[in-house]
Amino acid sequence: MLPFDIEYYRPDTIEEAVKLYRRLRENNQEPVFYGGGTELLTRARLQDVHYDAVIDLKNIPEVRIHGQKGDWLEFGAGLRLTDLADQNLWPLLTATADRIADHTTRGQITLGGNLLSTIPYREISLPFLLMDEAEALIATDNGIERRPMADLTSDSFIKPGEFLVSVRVNGGEAKGVAYRSHKMTRQDWIDYPLVTVAVIKRPDGSIRAAFSGWAGFPFVSSEVNRILSDTSRSPRRRAQQAVSHMPVKALEDLHGRREYREFVTEYTLAQILDELEDD
Amino acid sequence: MNIIGTSVPRKEAPNKVTGRARYTNDINVPGTFHAVMVPAHQAHAQIVSIDVDEAKKVPGVKAIITGDDVSILCGDVTEDRPPLAKDKVRYWGEPIALVVARNEAAARRAASLIKGRYKSLPVVNSIADALDKKAPLVHEKNGSYTVATPPVTPKKSSNIADEANVTKGDMDKAWKASDVKVKVHISLPQIDHAAMEPRIAKAEILADGRVLIHASTQAPFEVQKLLAKYFKLNPGQINVTAPLVGGAFGGKAGVQLEVLAYLASKAVDGQMVKIVNTREDDLATSPLGMGLEADIALGASKDGRIQAADMRFFMDIGAYTDSAPRIARAIAAQCTGPYAVANVHTDVYCVYTNHTYTTAWRGFGHMPMTFAVERAMDELAEALKMDPMDLRELNAIRPDDITPTKARLTRSNLGDLPKALTHMRQLIGWNGGRVEAVAEGKVRVQGVAAFWKTSSSPPNAVSGALITMNSDGSVNLSIGAVECGPGTKTTAAQILAEKLRIPLDRVFIHEDVNTQVDPEHWKTVASLSTYMVGRAVLDAANDLITQLMALAAAVLKCSPDDLDYGDEKIFVRDDPSIYLDFKDLALGYKYKEGDSIGGQLMGRGKFMIRHLNLLDQHTGHGRPGPAWTVGVQAVEVEYDQNTHQYRLLKAATVMDAGKVLNPAIASGQVMGGMNMGLGVASREGIFYDTEGRFLNHQFRLYKVMRMGEQPKQYLVEFIETPQVDSAYGARPIGEHAVLAIGAALANALSRAANVSLNTLPITPETIWRERRAH
Amino acid sequence: MREFTQPEQVSLTINNEPRTVVAYPGETLLYTLRGDSLGLTGAKPGCENGDCGACTVLVDGVPVKSCLVLTAEVEDHHITTVEGLREAPIQKAFLDHMAFQCGYCTSGFLMLGHALSQHVDRADEGRRTEWLRSNICRCTSYQEIADAVTETCSSLE
Repeated sequence: MLPFDIEYYRPDTIEEAVKLYRRLRENNQEPVFYGGGTELLTRARLQDVHYDAVIDLKNIPEVRIHGQKGDWLEFGAGLRLTDLADQNLWPLLTATADRIADHTTRGQITLGGNLLSTIPYREISLPFLLMDEAEALIATDNGIERRPMADLTSDSFIKPGEFLVSVRVNGGEAKGVAYRSHKMTRQDWIDYPLVTVAVIKRPDGSIRAAFSGWAGFPFVSSEVNRILSDTSRSPRRRAQQAVSHMPVKALEDLHGRREYREFVTEYTLAQILDELEDD
Repeated sequence: MNIIGTSVPRKEAPNKVTGRARYTNDINVPGTFHAVMVPAHQAHAQIVSIDVDEAKKVPGVKAIITGDDVSILCGDVTEDRPPLAKDKVRYWGEPIALVVARNEAAARRAASLIKGRYKSLPVVNSIADALDKKAPLVHEKNGSYTVATPPVTPKKSSNIADEANVTKGDMDKAWKASDVKVKVHISLPQIDHAAMEPRIAKAEILADGRVLIHASTQAPFEVQKLLAKYFKLNPGQINVTAPLVGGAFGGKAGVQLEVLAYLASKAVDGQMVKIVNTREDDLATSPLGMGLEADIALGASKDGRIQAADMRFFMDIGAYTDSAPRIARAIAAQCTGPYAVANVHTDVYCVYTNHTYTTAWRGFGHMPMTFAVERAMDELAEALKMDPMDLRELNAIRPDDITPTKARLTRSNLGDLPKALTHMRQLIGWNGGRVEAVAEGKVRVQGVAAFWKTSSSPPNAVSGALITMNSDGSVNLSIGAVECGPGTKTTAAQILAEKLRIPLDRVFIHEDVNTQVDPEHWKTVASLSTYMVGRAVLDAANDLITQLMALAAAVLKCSPDDLDYGDEKIFVRDDPSIYLDFKDLALGYKYKEGDSIGGQLMGRGKFMIRHLNLLDQHTGHGRPGPAWTVGVQAVEVEYDQNTHQYRLLKAATVMDAGKVLNPAIASGQVMGGMNMGLGVASREGIFYDTEGRFLNHQFRLYKVMRMGEQPKQYLVEFIETPQVDSAYGARPIGEHAVLAIGAALANALSRAANVSLNTLPITPETIWRERRAH
Repeated sequence: MREFTQPEQVSLTINNEPRTVVAYPGETLLYTLRGDSLGLTGAKPGCENGDCGACTVLVDGVPVKSCLVLTAEVEDHHITTVEGLREAPIQKAFLDHMAFQCGYCTSGFLMLGHALSQHVDRADEGRRTEWLRSNICRCTSYQEIADAVTETCSSLE
């Protein structure tokens, strides 16, 4: 239950939603765009966020888009994580989605909600961060803008009043890779990650890895990718090197100490590299 | 009849699968006010001021209470806890104010606007902090508080809230004479009960002065007595109703929200006020289970016989004592585990810290105590190069042995641990504790641990039962024990049905307890309900049978001695064709002519614990409970030597149940207990940061076992050595399956990983860390 | 565009019966169901944070944690609560396997089990575990619940 009053709006078009946000702001209200609600409702209950109005985006057709169009695989921001798994359009995305939260909650969390979460993990971003051609379609005052998914964690990726409509990747690229997505936790199947690692092996044999849980944001490192792709070294050696060349220090929190995160990341990477070598 | 020993379903089962079972928060009177606590966000601080001005302006807010408005101190042993923090905050999450409003949203909004201003104090964040010579004091007044229930021995100008000691034999001499000695240091975090129903209380003060309380509680009669005492009321004025409880595990045996609900109602002219814990409140603000540090030293002769046990237990009781002194004495009394040890010296300390205060937790301190003892036992087995199962069998306590507190043991009051050990060898397929390789980098290993426990109940604990008859000859049973899940009410109904020789569906037992209509039952704790209620029910049944016989004898013109009963009839023993139906006697017997005798028949039964005493203050000697329940638990795990991850394959319990009254319910209790104990051992624990802030007060971060994480196989076996003074010989079994299973897991994994795992929870990181330190 | 700015009547289909109820725009479905007007207290608040699943109901046949959804979002949808299970096989299985003790988490697990038994891929043990992991039970060993759900799903095949 929300301890404060809100207004609820469910616009039918992108334009309506953008205009509504502007109107509410002009009215000195604090609107938020609303996807699955799992984060906005729990944080509001604890009163660590406050808003006056929610703009539920789920009725906008573009936000529900899910399929292949030309070269693109398109995923609406309002898709539930279970929708991704049910259609299984992109198996790597399914593999990552299937380890977020629990099954019932995955039926409520949306793709957009997880990508733009204030909780640091945002694991569903990992497959997109691994692609050369991955872009976000963002509704702005000036219509739909395309922004690279690589900028996801930068402040300019999405500004107040804008919302994520959908994300798309090049289907050929996305499906032309071997992949693994492993979530490692402190102990429990249902938990935040110590580290989630999504790894792809591209047709040219090069390796890319994306990490969540290691730091306060998901990331890809070209230095780490270079190390992982160096097949002159053993998987174990590459994993060791990668861990010692991460662009940021590992977190130290109640899920695990820094050195333990390093240990887990290392053996997970080594195992994945081993497996991908055999693929 | 054969109702005893039969797997009948819980009486209330149909309601529980249709959503019709009603818990405290499911029954609401329109117009009920809501009270919300404001938690402190400091672990140790002087309260400079509490600003409530903004909160008062929130529409719908009716009253705001702070510690300055309340003069009482609470505590069932030592009265050291203000219901709302006063002058000082002693743990993160301690309530500093209470907002009463027309609705929950208004109360929560207002609560968020209340700001405490504090002067921070150094935080006592661990047992070591608390025992440091220069430690800040959690309670400056320690040693001067009113003691409600002696004995308790606080040490002034220290953080030691209480100390309990037990000595037996000549420890020093025996230690010197021991051939093999082991010492183990144990460290266990505080844990939560995590009952699925958050704690809740409602209070209303009627115009006639009566106080109505509805609460999710294991102790409605304790609520009644303590409220009367705190607020100088007549206990009879206070009517406490306890509906079905959604899990308790000791966490609902204390009295906390009931006091706040009463204060809140008083502040709004006696209106009905409800206070419900959020999950965050339930973890951080309401009491937890204690943490423990322990130093265990065991000395044995070469043949493996334990000669000496020297033990120090330091309980992290958090900021207030609550039941801790009772738990300390329970630990002292059973400190050796279920082993015969001639020479014992044990000290148990209740240590104040700036952590959330603690209360009873399933097993009343025996689970952490057992962990310490059973880890030491495995270390001893290792040092002796002995099979851990053999070591336990060799030292198992037996009838005619005496306990650490010098209570004499009999076959009836102890049961048969050696037999349980023998059965366990079969049940788990005991392999001697060998580490067996199953695949590259993977090993399989078993671990074992044994337990014993008695009630550690007050020597004057009472229980009662009332039976009334309905016009059709069926009966209503009224008892004071609360239904928290273990099937207490069903068991009582089974005992009555068996005794009256009637089908179970002819016994009606209502789900709620109401202190005004139900006979007193001490508390629904200590796994004692079956013993105490069972005896009271038998007493009431005998009373009813006597009355049925007497009335029938008058009508049938014979002596009651000529009569017997069965099939809802009283009949003449040598000629059953001469009989009267229960229904014709239930409300008095009506002759053909219409004149009648007898009136409604009602059975009264009572029971009082006998021959217990408070342990001697100096030697610790005394008798802590009517009987012990003994058993042994084992696990089999598969451990990955590279990642340190492990899988639970089997968990097994063999317990001496005396007599199994309801096999399905009993094995459910045991399986659930093992699951809970394994959860505690493998993932649970409260995290405080360096400032004493409670970090994991949600189920996202306080992890409990979920589906799929339980062992692949649960094995349960009961042996039956009757406790002769209990109804049908049954022993307490409710708590016991949590007691040793965590120790069995630690024993297995310690051997698998070749390190000593003496802290909980055991996560892969714990093992990894120990291996690195090795 | 649906605009819902103050308390108003909302139409829901609950347990196959059309109902209208006055709700606030910020009301969770759990709150609406348990309120005085509907009185469907079978769904339990256990954490109101989406962690425990005691409040699970079905929306159009799919399990939803009713503490994590606004009533406004499920307007005109079909909601099934434990009170709407009428002699469903899962209820009997829970009784037969004693798949509960205190009963507080039971409604949520029943709704998961019921939805699974209606689900096309119900035979898969992995899927059953994955669904049932969404909820917490503190009394049982989970084995009883798993057995009850397995039996229900397999007997319907």
